[in-house]
Amino acid sequence: MRELRTTEQEAAEDVFFGQLVIIYARWFVVVAMTILVLWSSTTLDQMVIGIALVVPLIALNFFVHGRYLMEKPANRLLLIILGIIDAAVITLIVIFWPGAKGMYSQFYVFYYPIILAFAFVFPGRLSFVYTAFTLALYGITCVLLTPSFLADMAEIERLVLRMVTMAATGMIGIYYYRIQRQRRRQIYLPEESVLDPA
Amino acid sequence: MSQTIVEKPEEAEPEQESFMQRVRIGDAWEEEDLAFGQPVIVAVRWIMIVTAMFLAIWNVESMADLRLQFVALLLLAVTNFYLQAQLLMKRPLGKHIVYAASAVDILIITVLVLFQGGYDSSIYVFYLPAIAAFAVAFPRGLTALYTAVVIMLYGMIAMVTEGALADVIVSRLLMITAVAFCGSLYLKLEHERRAEVQKREASFLEQIAAATAEPLPQID
Repeated sequence: MRELRTTEQEAAEDVFFGQLVIIYARWFVVVAMTILVLWSSTTLDQMVIGIALVVPLIALNFFVHGRYLMEKPANRLLLIILGIIDAAVITLIVIFWPGAKGMYSQFYVFYYPIILAFAFVFPGRLSFVYTAFTLALYGITCVLLTPSFLADMAEIERLVLRMVTMAATGMIGIYYYRIQRQRRRQIYLPEESVLDPA
Repeated sequence: MSQTIVEKPEEAEPEQESFMQRVRIGDAWEEEDLAFGQPVIVAVRWIMIVTAMFLAIWNVESMADLRLQFVALLLLAVTNFYLQAQLLMKRPLGKHIVYAASAVDILIITVLVLFQGGYDSSIYVFYLPAIAAFAVAFPRGLTALYTAVVIMLYGMIAMVTEGALADVIVSRLLMITAVAFCGSLYLKLEHERRAEVQKREASFLEQIAAATAEPLPQID
């Protein structure tokens, strides 16, 4: 028996079901950022900057999560725009958060769940572009904001390590997305099961 | 074509059957998840090995360090080659071997973090893709266990490092949790989707069976 759904329908279902993963990934980032704002701000200015970065993300996620709960999930375009906003907000933290900035900021770690969640939901090509975009955004920010690190081989090594692992995280999402699609199709085409040793 | 009469099942039978079916699907999923997730774990391990080898050669600090790193990476590469070969021959490994190999991955990353300055070591970023790969292959309980172990080990190592910033450590641990949670959630959503597809498929086949069982109209 052959599958009756088109690739477009399947992609729409991926967005419909998968966006919960993006929503939860964003909640994790929001929680981490809130802890940061409340914990490490030492002046009123720092707290104001922190709140200004966190509140829009919270508002956006309430909106998207609320729609999902009402069974009116966000469409593909909105999710892509929100994904770009996520990457931009994390980059703003890397740029503006008091203390170490750019290459020396430790908050690049927020990129990982965002990249993974995006890759779980969207087709490989789009996820690849998003991962490359995020890596480029982070790399350019580091180079422009703290160019002095380029003189230190150990720091370049650190940056390469971060970027390789971010890319690997995106690749896991892309790879697994493909595997899951194949598994769903095998329900219609059981004779092609990869578990069959023959 | 022989015509068979499809009898309507008793009230109690479908409930029992659906429970048994659920149990069967659950078991198949666990095995399937692991079988389909294994290539992801192996691929991530190759990335880790190649990156670590590249970085070890790039920034050599001492001959003894390089020797140790080279031997450790070579052993890891040989093990991963064996796992890869089994997959290529379509002989997915037993779950205990996969779980043990994954535990060894965590152990190796932890040892490297420990010997490279704890909190200051940037090797901890290897935890994130590793945990992400486990989360899409392992049952949720096991993913939670592995994540808890990583959080405990890395949290302790980072906390005792001099000059460690608590907010940074909390952020790192939260993101490790986030990656594990997102992977497990995705796996759960996919289970639900596949169950839905299977249900639709079964209902469709039942309708076909019922239609073919109906007697053909008589033509005078």
